[in-house]
Amino acid sequence: MGLVVSSYSVKMHLKAPEHQVAGHIAKDGKPGPLVDDKGRFFKPLQGDSRGEIEVKFYESFSSNTEIPDHIRRYFPVYHGTQAVEGSDGAAMIVLENLLSQYSKPSVMDVKMGSRTWYPEASEEYIQKCLRKDARSTTVSSGFRISGFEVYDHKELSFWKPDRKLLNGIKVDGVRLALRKFVSSNTLSDTSSKPDSAFASSVYGGSNGVLTQLLELKTWFENQTFYHFNSCSILIIYENESIHDDGARAQVKLVDFAHVHDGNGVIDHNFLGGLCSFINFVRDILQSSDESTDN
Amino acid sequence: MLKVPEHQVAGHIAKDGKLGPLVDNQGRFYKPLQGDARGENEAKFYESFSSNKNVPDHIRGYFPVYHGVQLVEASDGSGKLPHMVLEDVVSSYVKPSVMDVKIGSRTWYPDVSEEYFNKCIKKDRATTTVSLGFRVSGLKIFDCQESGFWRPDKRVVLAYKADGARTALRKFVSSNSLADDSVPDCAYASEVYGGSNGILMQLLELKAWFETQTLYHFNSCSVLMVYENESGGDEERRPQVKLVDFAHVLDGNGVIDHNFFGGLCSFIKFIQDILESSDNRCENGH
Repeated sequence: MGLVVSSYSVKMHLKAPEHQVAGHIAKDGKPGPLVDDKGRFFKPLQGDSRGEIEVKFYESFSSNTEIPDHIRRYFPVYHGTQAVEGSDGAAMIVLENLLSQYSKPSVMDVKMGSRTWYPEASEEYIQKCLRKDARSTTVSSGFRISGFEVYDHKELSFWKPDRKLLNGIKVDGVRLALRKFVSSNTLSDTSSKPDSAFASSVYGGSNGVLTQLLELKTWFENQTFYHFNSCSILIIYENESIHDDGARAQVKLVDFAHVHDGNGVIDHNFLGGLCSFINFVRDILQSSDESTDN
Repeated sequence: MLKVPEHQVAGHIAKDGKLGPLVDNQGRFYKPLQGDARGENEAKFYESFSSNKNVPDHIRGYFPVYHGVQLVEASDGSGKLPHMVLEDVVSSYVKPSVMDVKIGSRTWYPDVSEEYFNKCIKKDRATTTVSLGFRVSGLKIFDCQESGFWRPDKRVVLAYKADGARTALRKFVSSNSLADDSVPDCAYASEVYGGSNGILMQLLELKAWFETQTLYHFNSCSVLMVYENESGGDEERRPQVKLVDFAHVLDGNGVIDHNFFGGLCSFIKFIQDILESSDNRCENGH
């Protein structure tokens, strides 16, 4: 399904993104995100204050001169807001399409923090979050996997775990998912053990996921600008020619609908969860390194 | 002869016929094993920790030495009760300033009773636990102007918001009057918080361990900070950090204690900020 809209006399070919793994999708007449053919991602401004908060964050962040350049790369580039016809004229946040440089991306969305609620939220929201946090690995591990999609190199197609299944996983399930995410063998087959074939090219190396997460962690140990409540870390890597060209793994922070001012305090909630996630990734990298040594 | 400790700032106090810890004159602290599972859990932690080969020596120094369990005459007159025998961490100090800081953005943990969860979360939200990742549980600071100890009321301490916590941490290392509203001078910040053996260095050492240790989850534990005020002699402050209160410690089960780690990092930032602003003042000749 595609939309051709005229905006400022420029025809934009908009369609639903292909690899959305978490968050809102276009359903039941409600607008979902869209992408164009020029590397841009259009996110509908959510009702209540969330859309406003996200725009306010992007405006603040893009003009914040105290953000070091090497940290800015972990955030989607912001292109302002735009009214898009065909979506009820609703305003949309225009962002960099993080997947436009990838032809066969595996993507994982990890919600960071041992709590997704925050003091400024409504009581109703806090209760809703508490329930979800307790049911998932958020409380126990400091993060939860919101969704992922991975390319199966044997079946030559993308595989996505069942959403309900993912919501009920515990610590072991998280480890398994993180292994599957970097495996090449048949993923839909639950009896075969994930081969973690791409663990070192995706998680390891001087430009791998672990190095990037560690760089982010250092920033989080000191930054008091923002509290990234309920934000996710997106992990993306390329499957096309992975053996010849490498994985081009990238870490990006996304979803800023609940970001608040830091007020001189570090984001200890995000930092704790990030450190825990780093340990999980490191463990998998080490055990896959060990098995290749054997 | 056992007596009530002079410098206890938080937890149950053995006073007015209540059950609480006692000290002897040989540097030992006797903590009664509470009736419920907590005392048992704490003793179990100490047993496990003292024999755990995976704990590096330099980290072991941040924990009170454990001397097993002994039957001792209880402070409430109820006869001989089992008590955990621990190192009294303030016994080598003559006039110690002491502060107890509960670390973590939550004091509850998975699988507790609904009653306990509700009690904890209510307190966590009312104090700085949720917002800062730690809360000041108690403090007793030597006030050189008054030549005595300043100990704010527990209710005042629990009502601290971010500014209150910051002020308490500044007062902890100040030489001017503590009881009034005068701006704390942070005169001892570099001796107590700073330096190669100061509080900040010790906290950073602990932080490095917490980045990867998956042995224990230190739910509801406190960092105790102590330093000497007695002048004369070599005038060494001897600032010390100790971890205390292990009634709610659980196995790490392969996951780091992200709750404690996050709170500890936030606490470290507060100390760093105070150190930096007091250093700047010294440079400007204030």
